[in-house]
Amino acid sequence: MADGHRAAYLAFDRFPSAKGSAVHIRHMAAELFERYQGGLLCVLGGGDLPAYQREGGVEIVRFTEVVPNLLDRAEAFSAWAAEQLAPHRDTLELCHVRDPWSALPAMTTGATMVYEANGLPSIELPYAWPHAAPATLAKVRELERHCLARAAAVVVPSYVIKNAVTDRGVTPDRVHLVPNGADPAPADVPRPPDAPGRYLIYVGALQPWQGVDVLLRAFARLADLTDLDLVICSSVSPNRARPLRRLADRLGVAERVRWHYQLPHDDIAGWLAHAELSVAPLTACDRNVEQGCSPIKVWESMAAGTAVVASDLPVVREVLGEYGRLVPPDRPAELARAIRVLLEYPQVCRDLGENARKHVLAGFTWKHARARLADVYDLVVRH
Amino acid sequence: MTPCAVTTGFFTLGKCGTMAVAGCPSCGRALCADHVTEGGLCPECAAANNRFGHPAAVAAYRRRAYRHRSAGVYQDTVWYTGFDSYDRAAFDPGAAASQDYLDDGDDALVDS
Ligand SMILES: [Zn+2]
Ligand SMILES: [Zn+2]
Repeated sequence: MADGHRAAYLAFDRFPSAKGSAVHIRHMAAELFERYQGGLLCVLGGGDLPAYQREGGVEIVRFTEVVPNLLDRAEAFSAWAAEQLAPHRDTLELCHVRDPWSALPAMTTGATMVYEANGLPSIELPYAWPHAAPATLAKVRELERHCLARAAAVVVPSYVIKNAVTDRGVTPDRVHLVPNGADPAPADVPRPPDAPGRYLIYVGALQPWQGVDVLLRAFARLADLTDLDLVICSSVSPNRARPLRRLADRLGVAERVRWHYQLPHDDIAGWLAHAELSVAPLTACDRNVEQGCSPIKVWESMAAGTAVVASDLPVVREVLGEYGRLVPPDRPAELARAIRVLLEYPQVCRDLGENARKHVLAGFTWKHARARLADVYDLVVRH
Repeated sequence: MTPCAVTTGFFTLGKCGTMAVAGCPSCGRALCADHVTEGGLCPECAAANNRFGHPAAVAAYRRRAYRHRSAGVYQDTVWYTGFDSYDRAAFDPGAAASQDYLDDGDDALVDS
């Protein structure tokens, strides 16, 4: 490599993976690397992922060290990433980061930094790590503040997280909204061969705040609809589904719930397009209410032309608006009722889905998201 | 024909599959003409041998690292607070909300 890279994208996240975050990284990094005819991508590896790849002008380096403690691992990633960036210090113009542990090494390069805040570890971490003390989370929050303050621009997927970011001291004029998007499903995407006749669908991960338990309880209330199945396309491994499968058993619906794990992203479109309804039962926990999230599953359902029933949370209302059906979160009976009513009016369902699809095509495809990101880059990069 | 065994792709990964012309002397995988690096290794082994790619880049890195250590220009980018062992303990593998969180190597700080 004769010349150093001019751009780098860093994420303390495995890439690629079956999760929504990977879809997001894919499109945002593509915009960055197209702009600079290449660049350096620093992400987490593991599994069969190669530690190093070169794809045209893009170099992909993956952190593969096994460090059991999450904080130790995050810091080891920072140190590793700083080493990866160091040879490019003289040429780097723009670093795009997704978290504080990516931001710290980026800040040592002197390049302009764009911080993409899809979530905030100080809000998110306690859900997976309940023993994290308030004092520890305050330090994480301070770290976020430190990194956000040094970003030339902060990119957020929703107004909800924009507020969380400005709460951490970022002036609103430096925060830019780049909503997630979805690419339109091909009109004739085939029905998956193992798809049941009529089914509801859930696509995504299975953490408690996703509310899949609420969906299972709602589904149990629809037992009289004997021709209706529930398909769960989990972005995480079968192990993570164990508690939910036990719940489905206890509710007596296990036979009508079909589980699929970590399907390739391209296969999801077919499952979504042929479902009666897509459900996003997010719970009203702090994580969803204060931090928000970027429900890529909602965007993708809309793009597939499938009507969406989702929890009425600010972050969902922002995406779905009048293009779907909002229900009170954490209320299985209300969710079941909304599903039942929509199933009784298939034309309403079809119209909702079709209008949602048009809405996405008109302004919220990944192409639109990339154009909005390009505008942010234009703003912060000196010519 | 032996197909090249180098993993390629950005979002959807697969094996290169082009006809191999050599094998990597370090890991043994089959390599097509495009994937043989200058030293004859596969791209991954070459990168592992020489993290910074070009020897000139390594030298430049060392010089810069020295310059910056002495000049102290990192000052304003250093985050001073730091985490102590008490902070860290909450993030040991056994402290996760669910052991199920750990078994697919899911490291993300922010999930979606
Ligand atoms: Zn090799
Ligand atoms: Zn090859």
